[in-house]
Order: sequence, then C-alpha cells, then structure tokens
Amino acid sequence: MTAPTAKDFKSDLKPIWCPGCGDFGVLQSIYRALAGIGRPAHEIAFVSGIGCSSRIPGYTTAYGFNSVHGRALPIAQGIKMANPDLLVLVAGGDGDGFSIGGGHVAHAVRRNPDLTYIVMDNQIYGLTKGQLSPTSPRGLKTVTSTFGSFEAPVNPLLYVLSYGAGFVAQATPADMAGMTAVIEEAIRYPGFSFVNVQSPCVTYGEEHQQVKAQRAKMKTLASLSHDPSDRMRAFELASHYGEELYTGVFYRNPSPPPTYGALIKERQAELAGGLPRERILESFIQRT
Amino acid sequence: MSTKTVGLDFAKLTLCEALDLAIFVEEEAMDRYGEFADQLEKHRTPSAARFFRFMEKNEAKHRAALAAKRKELFPSTAVTVTREMIFDIEAPEYDEARIFMSLRQALETSLRAEHKARSFFEDALARVSSPEVRALFTELRDEEVEHQALVQREIDKLPPGVEPNPEDYADEPHNQ
Repeated sequence: MTAPTAKDFKSDLKPIWCPGCGDFGVLQSIYRALAGIGRPAHEIAFVSGIGCSSRIPGYTTAYGFNSVHGRALPIAQGIKMANPDLLVLVAGGDGDGFSIGGGHVAHAVRRNPDLTYIVMDNQIYGLTKGQLSPTSPRGLKTVTSTFGSFEAPVNPLLYVLSYGAGFVAQATPADMAGMTAVIEEAIRYPGFSFVNVQSPCVTYGEEHQQVKAQRAKMKTLASLSHDPSDRMRAFELASHYGEELYTGVFYRNPSPPPTYGALIKERQAELAGGLPRERILESFIQRT
Repeated sequence: MSTKTVGLDFAKLTLCEALDLAIFVEEEAMDRYGEFADQLEKHRTPSAARFFRFMEKNEAKHRAALAAKRKELFPSTAVTVTREMIFDIEAPEYDEARIFMSLRQALETSLRAEHKARSFFEDALARVSSPEVRALFTELRDEEVEHQALVQREIDKLPPGVEPNPEDYADEPHNQ
C-alpha cells in the first residue's frame, strides 16, 4: 500500500466558510499533517462540536462526527476508549472549547487520553454573526458589546498548561509550513496535545487579527531559542497571549506520563484471570 | 517569516526532481484557483469566480505540459519529491479570496501569485547547482514573467473607475 498524500484526506464536500477564512489554511495543514503521519483515513476519527470551524471533519475523508456544542472532547474520549487503535482528532472554535465546553477541557487534560485537540481561535462567535466569545479581547465592540467588552479574555494556552497538558502549541495560517509541522508533532505526541490556531474570522474579525497582520506580527518560539521542555518558561511566554503572536511548541513534556488508554490496558491486565465478566459486581460487595 | 519549502535541498536537485517539483507547483496553483472559484460561486461573486476558473484551467495546461516533458525525459523514474514539500509557491494564499471581490481584485490576486512564483524560481536559481535544473528554472521564471505581463494587460483593459469595496456590501453589526 502506498503512503497517503494530503489529497487522500480531502473529501468531496466543499467548504462553505467565507472566502478568506483562516480555517481554509487549517484544513490544508491538517491534510498535510495527516499525510506526514502516514495512517490511512479509515484509521482516523475526527470529532468536532458546533461552529464554523466544527464543520471541518466533513471536509476530510476520516470518520467524522460533527457533534454537540462544546461536547466534542467527551465524545472523542469515548471513541478513543472504545477503539484505542484509532487516531483521534478533535477540533472546534474558541467558544465551543472554552465557553460552552469549557468544563470538559480541564478533565480531558487531566485524564490524558491520546488525542489531539485543535482549537481554531478567532476570538468571536462567527457562525451566529459576531457575538463576544471567551477569547474576545477586552474592549472589543460586537453586537453583544456595543460599547466594548468589560471581560478579560480566557487564555487558552495558560488554561491547558495549568491543568497539566503535555503538549501545548500555537499556530497561524500565516505560516502554513509551521502550522503543518506543529499539528503533525501534536498528533505524534503520546497523550493529550493541544494546538491553538489563531484562525481569523474574515467577516467579523478585526483588521489587526487578519492573516496579513499576523504575517507581520508572528514570532516563532524557535527564533526566541525557547526550549519546549521548560514548562515555567512556557507559562511565561503563554501569558503574552493576545499581545504577542508566538507560534510553535510552548511545552512538550520530555517524559510523557502514561495515557488514559495505557492505564486502562494495565488495569485490564491486572484484572484478567479474576472474576468472569458476569460476576464482576461481586467484587464491589463487601463481605463480613 | 514563513517557509515555502520543507525538506528540499536545491543544491542536490536533479532535473527529474526539479520537473516533479514544477509539476506540483502548477498543480497546487490549479487546485487553489479551483477552490477560489468554488468559494466565490457559492458566495455569489461570479466575475471573480469565472476568472479563477479560467486560471484553474490555465494552470492545468501548464501542469500537463510539464508532465508530458517529464514523461518523455524520465518515463520510468520514480517520483521522489512530494507535493507536501511545497507551500503556496504559485498558489495565492487562502486569505486572498474575499466575498464580493471585483474582477480587478481577482486579477490583482493572480498578479501577486505570479510575482511570488517568479521570486521563488529566482531564489531557487541562486541555490541550484545542476546546469539542467538551472536551465529549467530559468525557463519557468521567464514564463512567470510572461504571465505577469499577461495579467497586467488584462488589468489595464478594465474600465477605469472607483472599485467597489467589499466592505460596502457587508451588513453592519446591529445590537441583539
């Protein structure tokens, strides 16, 4: 069997995103990253929530589930537990991940399932026509904040870092090669990996957030000689979210802990040879 | 600064690899123009969509010509470079497309893409060592210059006047 190419992951469904949307670049990078991984589409499951970016699984030939708003991570964890051999990708927007599904992110991180979570962070609810999102900058004027937002944005990078994520990165469609490399590296990381993509909303986003502006603003972490195994430095750099546009890997745990799936396997091995399945409840009954 | 190629050593590039690379460059541009045409057809921007569809066919012709040359010169040599090694060489970047973009804006997008391709081959020429590859890249660079002139002529043919701003068509946000 020949190795898959990026084209093999492109479905016949044509994206309906607004022309110029950052998500087109993210999709292209995902195709290329998957080609780099080399696993065929039928060994990949792609789960998303709701939103513009959550349409992404449909544009790939992998198994796809455009699921429930904010619930992509629990569903993806279930899929991974049921079929550990699948490569599981999760995608969604900043609202889906850090507002509606905000509670799920922390628990996915601490469980450490072997999946990759890609957030297309455009700092706005684009699909519903431009309301404030959890990552909208303070002062942003939108249809739900006519005089400017009072709220400080959620910092997705610090959020996942502080819950103990083993792989945390940021990318932008302004650097397609960099974004592809980061996504591929995230998929290869054994455990929960997180990629925040600054994917601008071309319709409701601000001018300074657009890809052209990002090209001028972005700084690769490699150019700052950042050592991705330095977690404290990663925290420091990640704290500049919203001010600076750093791209690349903030943190990669040099000694990845066992994944949730590996711990389940271990437990299954321990229990093998014990009670037969139909009598498993007996082990919970206390005997005097 | 974004990278345009990954894993390519121009100094070691053979003619066969250079031809394959050139085919991928045209193919990438062809696909991107096709995507832009799809996007703009879907978003009711017909004149720009028609132009991008024309460009898709144009790039397909260039690709076919290079593929024929490759087949003639190296009929049984395996392909060793991949399309994943190049990023937006002649293909316009995704953020170039805009809803309600005018024909002039579409042509200007294409002009920038041709200019980008020319710069790519110029930069590559400084790094290649094989005389055959140098000859091919020189030819390809000169073709890009010709394409630029062609697109510029089309721009010059457009009637003068104030270009509509796509922003004028967008709905203003309103309170909810």
